[in-house]
Parts: sequence; structure tokens; C-alpha cells
Amino acid sequence: MIHFISKRLKHSLVLLFLASVVCFTLVVSAPGNVAVLIAELRGAASTPGYVEKVAEEIGLNKPLLMRYVDWLGDAVTGDFGISYRTGQTVSADLPQRMMVTGTLIAGSAVIATLLSLLLGFLGAFWPYKLPDRVSRGLALIGASTPTFFVGALMIYGFSVTFQLFPSFGFNGPVSWVLPWLTVAVLPAAVLSRVVRVGLEEAMTSPYVLTAKSKGLGRTAILFREALPNITPVFINALGTQVGLMTATGIIVEPLFAWQGVGDYFLAGVRFRDFMVVQACLLIFLAFFIVVNLIVDLAVLMTDPRIRRQWS
Amino acid sequence: MNKLKPIFARLNKFPRVALVVIGLFVALGTFAPWLAPQDPSAQNLLQGGLGPSVAHWLGTDHLGRDTLSRLIIAANTSLVSVGSVLIIAMTIGILMGTIAGYHRGWVDDLLMRVVDVGLSIPSLITALAVIGIVGPGYWTMVLALALAWWPMSGRISRAVAVSIMSKPHIEALRVLGASPWRIYFGHLLPGTIGAVMVYATADAGTAALAVATLSFLGLGIQPPTPEWGQMLVDALPYLESDPRQVILPGLALTAAVIGFNTLGEAIALNRIPKPLTRRMLAMRRIEVAGWGKENSDA
Amino acid sequence: MHDEPLLSVSNLTVDLLTAKSAIRPVDGVSYTVRQGECLAIVGESGSGKTVMNFAPLGLMPTGVTTSLSGSVRFGGRELIGLPEPEIRKIRGKSIGFIFQDPMSALNPVRRIGRQIAEMAELHLNMTPRAAEARALELVKLVGISDPSARLRQYPHELSGGLRQRIVIATALAGEPKLLIADEPTTALDVTVQAQILRLLKDLQRRLNMAMVLITHDMGVVAGAADNIVVMYAARAAERGPVDKVLVTPRHPYTRGLINAIPKREDPIGSQFRGLPGIPPTLGAPFKGCAFAPRCDFAVPTCTASRPPLVPSADGSVFVACPVVNEGRAAA
Ligand SMILES: Nc1ncnc2c1ncn2[C@@H]1O[C@H](COP(=O)(O)OP(=O)(O)O)[C@@H](O)[C@H]1O
Ligand code: SF4
Ligand SMILES: [Mg+2]
Repeated sequence: MIHFISKRLKHSLVLLFLASVVCFTLVVSAPGNVAVLIAELRGAASTPGYVEKVAEEIGLNKPLLMRYVDWLGDAVTGDFGISYRTGQTVSADLPQRMMVTGTLIAGSAVIATLLSLLLGFLGAFWPYKLPDRVSRGLALIGASTPTFFVGALMIYGFSVTFQLFPSFGFNGPVSWVLPWLTVAVLPAAVLSRVVRVGLEEAMTSPYVLTAKSKGLGRTAILFREALPNITPVFINALGTQVGLMTATGIIVEPLFAWQGVGDYFLAGVRFRDFMVVQACLLIFLAFFIVVNLIVDLAVLMTDPRIRRQWS
Repeated sequence: MNKLKPIFARLNKFPRVALVVIGLFVALGTFAPWLAPQDPSAQNLLQGGLGPSVAHWLGTDHLGRDTLSRLIIAANTSLVSVGSVLIIAMTIGILMGTIAGYHRGWVDDLLMRVVDVGLSIPSLITALAVIGIVGPGYWTMVLALALAWWPMSGRISRAVAVSIMSKPHIEALRVLGASPWRIYFGHLLPGTIGAVMVYATADAGTAALAVATLSFLGLGIQPPTPEWGQMLVDALPYLESDPRQVILPGLALTAAVIGFNTLGEAIALNRIPKPLTRRMLAMRRIEVAGWGKENSDA
Repeated sequence: MHDEPLLSVSNLTVDLLTAKSAIRPVDGVSYTVRQGECLAIVGESGSGKTVMNFAPLGLMPTGVTTSLSGSVRFGGRELIGLPEPEIRKIRGKSIGFIFQDPMSALNPVRRIGRQIAEMAELHLNMTPRAAEARALELVKLVGISDPSARLRQYPHELSGGLRQRIVIATALAGEPKLLIADEPTTALDVTVQAQILRLLKDLQRRLNMAMVLITHDMGVVAGAADNIVVMYAARAAERGPVDKVLVTPRHPYTRGLINAIPKREDPIGSQFRGLPGIPPTLGAPFKGCAFAPRCDFAVPTCTASRPPLVPSADGSVFVACPVVNEGRAAA
């Protein structure tokens, strides 16, 4: 167990290091003289010697490796440098933004999990019958509708037509509902198919024939025999979907006027604000790595075959 | 003509809805300039936000442009850009995959590690990062998406290539001293391309979504070229007064994606045994009834 | 009737309808098994043994539709036409099943103890605690050392032989009257095959169960079974008491099978004396004798009509071969 965690951690750290190199390359590849840019932003470009002072401040004159080490050291302590657009520090409201995006992903993940289990079991319980067709139809539509369209429909349905939920802002649970639902649609659809197909495949396996020969009923077989077998698969897929939610957040956050990391990233891309882009990228990558680590641990807990290899 | 037969036989295995929707999308996209009843960018501010009429079957947008024409031309935009993305991505992917599958060893390890990393990052984030560096534009979008897309076809073509390389007749060719070029271009590449094409087609729906999403964010197809995602975002400020202009492009895009996804699902589910359809069952019962019963044992 | 056999199958025909084809893997077969008796069903792989035993009990994999005719009476009840919930009550409770491959027959992510105990909970109305105790007993019964530790383990932690013992323990948990063992030793190491077979035989005698032992190996039959049905291409070729059939096989196919058993006097490493030729692929029922292409005694009339099962002079052995029955083939 300990062995597994330490090995996974090492693996994660290597990935994080690679990610940081990629992000740093982004900073370096910024075209134009950054010092001039920042000096201009601060309205002091004409002040003699100010550009040199900025260059000194952000360490432009140092060798590349030193800059990387400095940058990494700063990034680790939460300092992501100065925005090329505003001239302010990038990290100022990052914690707040991470909290917003975290709220979005956490809520959506819970909704997607519940919804997908419900739909998947409906289908597996009455395979090729009406509930299954409905559930698969919903999954197909959910997986095919662009998220921005889902968001627009949510706003039109729940906010414009029936004024149930606010269409924008981050002010408490009521304002979270629509963004949560919007983000949850795609993963719920994808995961319901994972559940449905996984259960169906499990139901064709020899141990289910054994279970049938023992006189167990369909419900018992689905829950006792098939479900434990698809749990590791489901957790893996859920991990992937939670990772993907960072991308969905990029679309949904601006739509609902949430100031999250995705929204910040998008603004950074729009205005080619490299420092912001790389800070957000680094956060995303760190998030993927953490999610992967958690998924690996969860799979380890739920699959005795893997657990044995590491005990 | 006979060569087409296996193709039709293969198509027959896929759900008809998928083939119809995909066919419609491709036809619409290809012949859009001739099908669009009006100039999609002709503005008429006096006739903005109109409902359906004889002149404008699906109404007009806030600038008075004919919505039907714009929807049709958008199919063309989508088809062309998705096609470009997939062709570029497949070319890179097949090249990398077949090289990895041919050489194995460290080349394989390295390339597949890159593919793993590429697959673990959401394609939208990869594409946006590229656009963030290079700046928005049509070809930036296409290249950025291709960069996000190639790992998938890379992984598939590697798997196919590995299985082709382990076939006995390739082994025999090698022993007989066939040149690597002949094995690569004569056997490996053609075999891989065919297999990857099917998957790529099934994946086209997701690519269409990505193009529309980037355009929705203002970082893909730029106005005045009509594109579904961009039409939708254009109409979003008028959602309350004129929801039709938001819903129509959304529906058009969703329908196209459903077509491709149905195909993908059919491919993915092929290996699971399904209960017989009622028609099939009736046919089998008739077949069995014809066997009759011979005298049987006491 | 007091005298009625526990299981009596008469004229059973099974049609499998699949997306690809319709086949008749069981074509008018009859046999009986009495309490405490063991019946061996022998035939090459693909001759329909598994389908014959599993289809009437609703144990076919998904993707096929089964269509049954004839009669299968178990404990005085007709199984054909019985609705699935009723059949389910019989499975596990009155009939226990043992499968060919113990590697895949157990659920890989559930503890062995649970997989056995749930049978006792379901069929003997035991509390979980009592069921666990019963599981422990059963595991001891099938001769597993360190039983309480085994119950906490997962299937992949055990060897094939141990797993098959667990499968047997599971099958016994409902206190069944009949045990159907489908090639219980085929997937195992040669060294444990004999152990498992002896265990099964021993349990069957001690618990006074009836047993249907399915196998493709004539060598297995001798010490184990009372009666035997030899299957060839969906049909019974010969049926009778083991001592008679093994000693004086009459059907040409049975003779071939017995000749194929490796003998002690064979030089080591001598070639396996299988039957020449391959069994036919099943589909529509055969016209005439399905064995004709491989048969040394075949005459033109063999392919004309289906050879009926005809009793021997003393009425104990039934053979489906007119050539033999009319005494034209030298025995
Ligand atoms: N699930 C199935 N689907 C289609 N055909 C099957 C299925 N199970 C068995 N069969 C066919 O039925 C015939 C008899 O199979 P089986 O009873 O398993 O033979 P045996 O047990 O004697 O080896 C075979 O020809 C096989 O192809
Ligand atoms: S009926 Fe004819 S072919 Fe069949 S076993 Fe007898 S002799 Fe051989
Ligand atoms: Mg069998």
C-alpha cells in the first residue's frame, strides 16, 4: 500500500515537472520585449531606465536555467509573476478563482455520478426494453449536445421562461444549480454508458452464469455480482470526466459570469496574456495529476486483483 | 461494381440513422453554396429578428441575415474545417503510430508516452493553449485542433500496426528479405489507414463540437463566415426576445453530432452479444419448424 | 409414484436461435437418473452435452434464444414450460452446478466466503452469521486446508484445484438432490484432476445425491458412473450401464472412443490415438447417421434415415446403429 502510494507519488512528481517545463516554455516563447510591455502597462515606458528596472524585476537578464528555477520556486509558493495585460500580479485572486472552479467541478461531479448510475442501472435492468431505450436515447443526446448549447437552453428554460434560478453570478447554492447541471450533462451521459455497457458486459461473463445457477435473481446479480466488477472501471471513467470538467468550465464559467480559473484562462488566451495562461495551465495540470492519483488509489481500494499486486 | 459490394455490406452493419444523418451533413456541407436560398451575409437591418416567412423560411437574425441560408453555409464551414482537422490529425497519428508499431522498442515507448500525455489533457485546453501562443485565426484553429486530435489516431494506428506486423505473412516477407519500404508502404500503411478511417469518422462529431466551441468562444471561425457555434453566440444577447436564433444552430449542430456518435457507439458495442430482434427470431423459428421432427428415441 | 427417477429426460430437443444461425445441438435424447446414481454423458467437444443439461434450466448465455421440446421431469415436476421464476427456485436449491473452468466461474472481486454463504442464506434461510458457519463447514467438507483463511480470500489468490473445490462447496451449499458437473476436471492440471474426481464421487455417495457427470474423456467414466450416455452430434449413440458399455461397446463411435483411451502398455510418448476425422459442425439435424463419414462399418443405407435407438437382447443397452443391431458388424 505504502509502496504503491510512494511509487504513484514519484510518478506524479515527474509528470508535474514535465508540465512545469512545458508551461515555462510558454513564458519564454512570448513574443516581443516583455519588460517594455509591462512598463507600458504601468504607464512608465517613457521614464528613462524604467524598462531596465522592470527587466531586472522579472529577471529577464538571467540565464534561461536560472529563470526556470526562479520561476518554479515562485510558482510553487503561489507566485505566478506579473500579468502582461494588467501589470498586476497573476496570483492575486487565484485562490478565490480556484474555489469557484472547485465548487463547479465538485457539484457537477456529484450530479453526474448520481444521474449516470440511475440511467445506467435503468438500462441494465430492462435491457433493450423501454427504460433502456429512453436511457440510451438521453445518453446519446447528452453526449452530442454542445455544452454551450446546453447552457443556453438551461438559461432559457430555467431562468428566462420559469424564473427558477439566476442565470449568472456566484452567490450561494441557488446560483450554482444551472452551472452545475450544465457541466454535469456530458459526463452524466458518458458515464451512464460506461455503467450500462459495463453492466451488460459483466452480465455476459461466466461468473454471472454461476450466480444464475445458484438461484440468484436478476436484482441480486446486478448489484452483488456485476456492480462490484464495474466499480473500478467507473471510478477510472469518472476521473477522466472530472479532468474534462476543467475544459467544460472554460465554456460554462464565462457563460454564467463566474470568475473561475477557466474564465481566467480564457481571458488569458484571448488577450494573449502568457503569464495568466501558464499559471492556469499549471493549475489544470496539477489538478489532473491529483485526480489521477486519487483515482489510482480508489481503484486500488476497490479491485482486489490490483490490491494484491501491491500489498 | 463488384468492388463496392464489400463496402455496402460493411455499411449495412451500421445503424441507418447514423448513415442518413452523416450523409445529409456531408451532402449539405458539400453543396451548401448551391443550396442556400440567399446570400448568407446580406444584411438588412430593417428586417432584423424576423420570424419565419415566405421570404425567410426560418426568419432572420438581428442583422437581418437569412437564418436558413446561414445554417446551410455553416454546414459547409463545419465540414471543411472538421475534414481538415481530421486529415491533418490522422496523417500525423498514422505516421507516428505506424512508426511506433513498426520499430517497437524505445521509439514505441517514447511516442506512446507522448500520446498518453496528449490524451490525458482535454483537447479544448490543448487547443486553447496553442491559440493563446500563436493568436486566433482559421488555420491556427485547424492546427491547434489537429494537435489535440492526433494522439487518438496515433494510439489506434499503433495498435493496428502492431497486429499487422505480427501476422505470419509479414513475418514471411521479412524472412524472404522484402525491403522495409515494401513492408511499410505495401502492407502496414494501407492496412492501418483503413482501420483508422472508420474511427476517425466516428470521432468527427467530437471534432465538430470542438470547432463550434472554439467559434463560440470567438477563437475559431471568425465572422462573417457563418458557423453554428458562432451563430449561437451572436444570438445569445437576444435570447429572451428571439430564442429561435439560439436554438436553431444548436439543434443543427447537435443533430450532426448525434449522427456521428451513433456510428461510434455502434462500433464500440459490436462485440457485445445482443438478443435477437423480433424479425430475426421469427425467421429462425420458421427455419427450425422446417426441420420437422424425425422419429425419436424411446 | 415412488419409483419415479429423480430426473427423467425424454425425447429432449433443443434448438438454439442466434443472430447468425439456427442450430439443433440436442436432438431427441432420452435418459434417466435415479437418486444416488451417477450418469456419465460422454462425447467429443461440441456434441451438445452442455446445452442438453443447461438449456432446460434456463442457463444459456445472453444472445441466444432457446426453444425446447420433449420432456424433462425433475422430482416429479415438468421443467419444460415452467416459468423462469419457478425454475430459478430449483437452481441452486435442488440442483447444484459445477462448471468447467473454475478460473472464471467465481466472481473475481468478491470474497470466497460470501460467494458460498449467500447460497445458504438464499436457500436455507440462514442468517448471515449462520451462513458463514455453514460455508466454513462446506469448505472443510471439500477438503481445503486452513478453511477460515480461505473464506476471506479472493478467487485469484487460489490455485485452479482449490477454486474448483470452492465451486463444488458452493454447489453443495443449497443441499441439492442432483449435481450437474460439466467437465469438472477438464481445465485443471492433470495431477489434480483425479483428486477432484475422487472428491466428487465421494461426496455424491456420502450425501446420496444424484450426479450427472459430463465429460469428453472415456477414461474418467470407469470408476465414477453407473450409467452412461454416449453423445454424437446432438444425438445419443449408445446408452446403458457403464460396466456393459465399457466392456463390450457396440456402437462404432463408442468403440472408437474407448480405443482412444491411452493404455498402460502404450510406449511412453506414443501418439495419441484419437478418432480419425473431426466431428461435424452442428446446424440443421442430420439425415441419417451423423457418424457415417467417420465410420468403418458404414453402408449406403446409413445415410438414408435416422438410426433408431434399439435395445440389445437383454434390454439393458440401447444402440443407434442398424448395422450393429442387425448383427452385421463383427463385435
Ligand atoms: N451460446 C451459444 N451460441 C451459439 N451456439 C452455441 C452456444 N452454445 C453452444 N452452441 C453450439 O451448440 C453446440 C453444442 O455445444 P455444447 O453443448 O457446448 O457442446 P459440448 O458441451 O458437448 O462441448 C455446438 O455446436 C455449439 O456451437
Ligand atoms: S449407422 Fe452406419 S454409419 Fe452410423 S454408426 Fe452405424 S454403421 Fe456407422
Ligand atoms: Mg461443454
